Amino acid sequence: MKIRKAVITAAGPNQYRLPLQRFVDLDGTERTALRIIVDEAAEAGVEEIAVVVQPGQSATYTEAAGDRARMLQFIEQPQPRGYGEALFRAAPFVGDQPFLHLVSDHLYISRQARRCAAQLVEAAQAEHCSVSAVQATRESMLRYYGAVGGRRVPGRNDLYKIEHVLEKPTPTEAEQRLVVPGLRAGHYLCFFGIHVLSPAVMEILGRSVAAAEEAGWPEPVMLSPALEILAQRERYLALELDGVRFNIGVKYGMLHAQLALALAGKDREETLARLVELLAGLGPGSA
Amino acid sequence: MIDQLIAIIASDDPDVRNRSLDGFCRQSTARKLLDACAALDRFRRTSENLYQRVRALFFLSTIYRYHLPEKLPVGSHALIPHQGYLYLLERRFDEAIECFLAVQAERPSDTIASALAAAYHALGFQTLADQVRRSVRSVRGNQWMFRMGHPADHPLRIRQSLLARAGDAAPFPILCERTPVRMDLSHSGWSDIFFLGMDFPEGARVLNVSIDLGVRGRDPHPRPPIEVYLRVIDQPVLRLVSVDLKSKADLTSLGEVFDFAKDYLGLLKAAVIASGLVPPGLEGSEESLVDLLARLVGPGLGLEIVSKVNDIPKGSRLAVSTNLLAAIITACMRATGQIPSLEGGLCESDRRMVAARAILGEWLAGSGGGWQDSGGIWPGIKMIEGRPAGPDDPEFGISRGRLLPDHRVYRHDEVTPQTRQALCDSFVLVHGGMAQNVGPILEMVTEKYLVRSEPEWQGRQEAIALMRSIEAALLEGSIERVAAATTRNFFGPIQTIIPWATNHYTETLIHRTRERFGPAFWGFLMLGGMSGGGMGFIFDPRRKVEAQDYLQELMRATKRELQHALPFAMEPVVYDFAINDGGTVAALLAGDEAFMPPAYYAMTAPNWLRSDTRELTPAQRSEITRFASACRTHPRLRGSLDMLFAGLFPAQVHEELAQGDLATLLRENGFDPELHEQIRSDLRAGRIGLAQNRLPASTAIEDVRPDDVVDAQAGGAKGDLRRLGEQALARGEVAVLTLAAGAGSRWTQGAGVVKALHPFWRFHGRYRNFIEVHLAKSRRAAETCGTPLPHIITTSYLTHEPIERFLRQGEGGYPGPLYLSRGRSVGLRMVPMPRDLRFAWEEMPQQLLDVQAQKVRESLHAALIAWAEKAGGASDYTDNLPLQCLHPVGHWFEVPNLLRNGTLARLLADRPQLKYLMLHNIDTLGADVDPAILGLHVAGGTCLSFEVIGRRIEDRGGGLARVDGRARLLESLAMPHEEDEFKLTYYNSMTTWISIDRLLDLFGLSQADLADEPAVTAAIRRFSLRMPTYITLKDVKKRWGHGQEDVYPVAQFEKLWGDMTALPEVSCQFLVVPRLRGQQLKEQAQLDSWLRDGSAEYVDRLCAWG
Repeated sequence: MKIRKAVITAAGPNQYRLPLQRFVDLDGTERTALRIIVDEAAEAGVEEIAVVVQPGQSATYTEAAGDRARMLQFIEQPQPRGYGEALFRAAPFVGDQPFLHLVSDHLYISRQARRCAAQLVEAAQAEHCSVSAVQATRESMLRYYGAVGGRRVPGRNDLYKIEHVLEKPTPTEAEQRLVVPGLRAGHYLCFFGIHVLSPAVMEILGRSVAAAEEAGWPEPVMLSPALEILAQRERYLALELDGVRFNIGVKYGMLHAQLALALAGKDREETLARLVELLAGLGPGSA
Repeated sequence: MIDQLIAIIASDDPDVRNRSLDGFCRQSTARKLLDACAALDRFRRTSENLYQRVRALFFLSTIYRYHLPEKLPVGSHALIPHQGYLYLLERRFDEAIECFLAVQAERPSDTIASALAAAYHALGFQTLADQVRRSVRSVRGNQWMFRMGHPADHPLRIRQSLLARAGDAAPFPILCERTPVRMDLSHSGWSDIFFLGMDFPEGARVLNVSIDLGVRGRDPHPRPPIEVYLRVIDQPVLRLVSVDLKSKADLTSLGEVFDFAKDYLGLLKAAVIASGLVPPGLEGSEESLVDLLARLVGPGLGLEIVSKVNDIPKGSRLAVSTNLLAAIITACMRATGQIPSLEGGLCESDRRMVAARAILGEWLAGSGGGWQDSGGIWPGIKMIEGRPAGPDDPEFGISRGRLLPDHRVYRHDEVTPQTRQALCDSFVLVHGGMAQNVGPILEMVTEKYLVRSEPEWQGRQEAIALMRSIEAALLEGSIERVAAATTRNFFGPIQTIIPWATNHYTETLIHRTRERFGPAFWGFLMLGGMSGGGMGFIFDPRRKVEAQDYLQELMRATKRELQHALPFAMEPVVYDFAINDGGTVAALLAGDEAFMPPAYYAMTAPNWLRSDTRELTPAQRSEITRFASACRTHPRLRGSLDMLFAGLFPAQVHEELAQGDLATLLRENGFDPELHEQIRSDLRAGRIGLAQNRLPASTAIEDVRPDDVVDAQAGGAKGDLRRLGEQALARGEVAVLTLAAGAGSRWTQGAGVVKALHPFWRFHGRYRNFIEVHLAKSRRAAETCGTPLPHIITTSYLTHEPIERFLRQGEGGYPGPLYLSRGRSVGLRMVPMPRDLRFAWEEMPQQLLDVQAQKVRESLHAALIAWAEKAGGASDYTDNLPLQCLHPVGHWFEVPNLLRNGTLARLLADRPQLKYLMLHNIDTLGADVDPAILGLHVAGGTCLSFEVIGRRIEDRGGGLARVDGRARLLESLAMPHEEDEFKLTYYNSMTTWISIDRLLDLFGLSQADLADEPAVTAAIRRFSLRMPTYITLKDVKKRWGHGQEDVYPVAQFEKLWGDMTALPEVSCQFLVVPRLRGQQLKEQAQLDSWLRDGSAEYVDRLCAWG
């Protein structure tokens, strides 16, 4: 099983600017979020990348991708009909191949030499099935993520067989359906924003999109219900990656992501020194 | 035998496990029982299984309470170690048991057995309560709420659809939840008690119907009685409103949310917490509610939650409170996305989650709903069943059953629409008007089941079988057979298990209805835990309307007959009802529909109108405008204007009339305003009060010596003394004096009914009250001695008319001379001094309650102290019915009253040979004119002979002591130190033999002087000055609304009869009598053990029924 293609979704209402934000990357070079994400995919061995965007955004995104732009092709989502519908638009692109999927509002920092997406692709290729990257997340953050419930794969501490997937569950739902033995109380496996998915997902999404279209689009089509069906249909795993994700779409999300990149990269000393200065200068009463 | 007992507890074989303890104990000696107790105690310490531990504890409690005492030698009294008692109060039950066992090791005694029984009993219930608490907290979906400790971590957000509005002036949408209540056709003998379902899930089955309700003659048609409204408001507060209780609060701090008893909104607060809006983990965090609301709803915003139960009276036995709790929880969970659907009904998993949260809410608020009470959120008719705990359940390995039952809703092809209609066409649902506390009954059932008492266990099997009959009849569509089975259930197993589930009122209603309707009266259904409140009468549908009219009138008339004898909280009502096949359903009221119910505006609009417009928020200003234009035209707001005017100009007439009555009552009943003002001034100055009741700390309090008492227990009185007594009786030298002037505060928690007339138990085929029992004893004594025995009953402002009416109707049926001695003194209750409330609640040792209940009680105490401060300590207590504002001035006055009101003079005129009186309290049921004891008094030659009994742990209030070297009776409120009472072996039964002439001597009077009223009055006044006056706190109930009751502590003063022994010139002796003769029935909760321990049988043997 070789993962050659990747899909990045960037068409969410109010989110299309996030991939265009500029960050100083680990090596001290300024890059857009999109470029960092594309690098993430490329270093996982992906050769072609589709980016699902709002109409008319292709040119801006091409520029934001810099010299990686030649890997990209753009697919427009004409109406904001949900994350699932956006991903489904890439169905012709992925065809009958498994694919890497990344969201465009997350940045990742790996704790090991291999990047996060590379870790995931490696696991999916080894297990020959869909694998979603997850991170144990406190229940107070559940409302930002899709979350999975399941059990550990015997002999592995970082791999789980997914039994249920819920989109942004309340802790009440999570406790009833997503408790994973072995995790700390109050912690759940939430999506990291990177998945390797089998083409079956596109088929499931296709049915959902058709049903929604027939019903007159009462609600956006989401990915998590399709993943819940996927979990019932075929082997579907979750991998706790050796890395950290940063949601740049939440309050202070970009700040946190930039700080993390700076502290994990070559400018760590300088950043720390600046932080100390800042803290000293902004102590109580100094404002 | 010992192994057999443990086998009963531990065996998996139902035949062994369900054997009864009583059978084993009956044949055993005291030694064997003590060995068995030692083995059981070892077992309960080592067993890892919770229910085996609990059963062992209840076995121990039962053996010590009912089996061991009767096998111990007569007169085996001892002292209870005070430290052990303190451990009991502090709920350190294991330490209390160690303490009592150490004393028992020296010598087993009746006294220590009573203490051990109490400690094991309490530890058993504590163990069960701990398990329920653990289970409630560990139910999946509840756990996160206990982990959340900071508003910044709050994982919930209000749904966007509740925040969506057209502009600042537009209303926020309102989420409206409408919920039915539930009616049980059978609860299989209270099998829905948590502990029982968890012990024996196979037997836990309840057949439960969701119903809409209307009060007949008031509501046009039945509808879901519970309505909850939730909306976002433009103020950062949590606004809770109960339109039925007319209570509203804007909560701005987290502390207020957890302060359950501060106002009438405790249930709403519990729901807010249990729903996760304000998770229980935040209790005591001292974080800001405003911050929490900012996260949950949005900066500057808050929430308003309004509850309404359509004025359905309290005590309906239809689980209105639990279903209201569940409805509020449902609305809050919908609003925060914990339930996926914002509108419409619920799916099964949502309903289960709500039920689990409702159980949590009940626990938080310290109330105790059954495990099936939230059945109203389910649709239609369903069987609710206990389930064995499986490996995935938190209860697995701890209890046999799960905390949460399963609900099986009957389909319409199982219970057909025709059957459902037939049920509605035949049932007449009523609220009989009685207010009762079901709590003690639930404890009794739990203990009896876990001990597997023979008749009760048999009863339980019958109840389970009858449940099957009821279900079968329902599935077959035969309501007549349903009725037959529910009736058999009520008169059979229910009363076998708990005789107190019925009462004279209920039986009278059933009897008269049966007489009137004959075979067209198909049967009776007890709703909930006991009868007298919510009940069902089942008729041939052709006569239902007639039956509804008849029952309405019958209940009113019967209530009028019995209202002085039984505690009624309200006028009885008949309901209309319909089966609700939808369960709880929500709708979003937006735009022009976004209105609260009319009663809400009647309550809040007057405040808006009184406020400066600038103080109102934009949303409130907009709501006034919208309401003003819609109140005439919008169908949902019909009647709002009338309600609004009624709220703006409330009627004052009744209150003024009532105060007029109070002045008259005071005038007519010998109120002494001068004394009253003196007491008020002394109270305020701190010269008298609870702390000042005590004797000086330097007073030496010791137990009496053997020669201070005369043993009048079995074998104590010699044959010649008995003959002496018999001769006195035969000569007609004796009369009985029954004290019935008191309010019996503890009997009904200050309900103000006449305890003496309470028909509390069936003797000789029918219900008898205290007076009937005392007269029956006198009848028997008179028959035995061959001479009529005069019987005097003392009365007061509260008890005179009802008792006189009762006797005039010939109900007492007493053939001998009968006199009523009306009290001539009355006091006016006062608002207590906050200082005294603090003394009673904070300085005196108090029985701690289970954690959550204790929090609720502390909150209530704080609220009551605030009330006393606001109302003014020692001000007149007048905010109640006039009779509830008065108080009797202590039983000491009841004897001088005999002199003052001419009763003694008449008695002596009728019967010049009269020499002795036997005085006894209304609740000392075992006291009779026993010739042997009379002989002791005659031979002793004293003025007064007081009867005392060996103390048990429940006997609190005073005792026989040597005070500075002299034997006398001492009230506990006068003891210098609280622990002094524990030095005393004997408890005062209050029964006193009086030599009349010597008593008159004390007052400086002769028989001839009795005709001279001024001289008598002056003598009494002189004498009374020497008697100590105590300040006491008593509970008094205030009734309001629809069956609501508040209990207030009030201050009053008393002079007590036992203090006669303190006067040096009064010659006294103290007779130790058998316990059955001297024990008192102070609380209704004692009735069951009174029946079980042979006391009822003993009393029956003393009586001759007319």
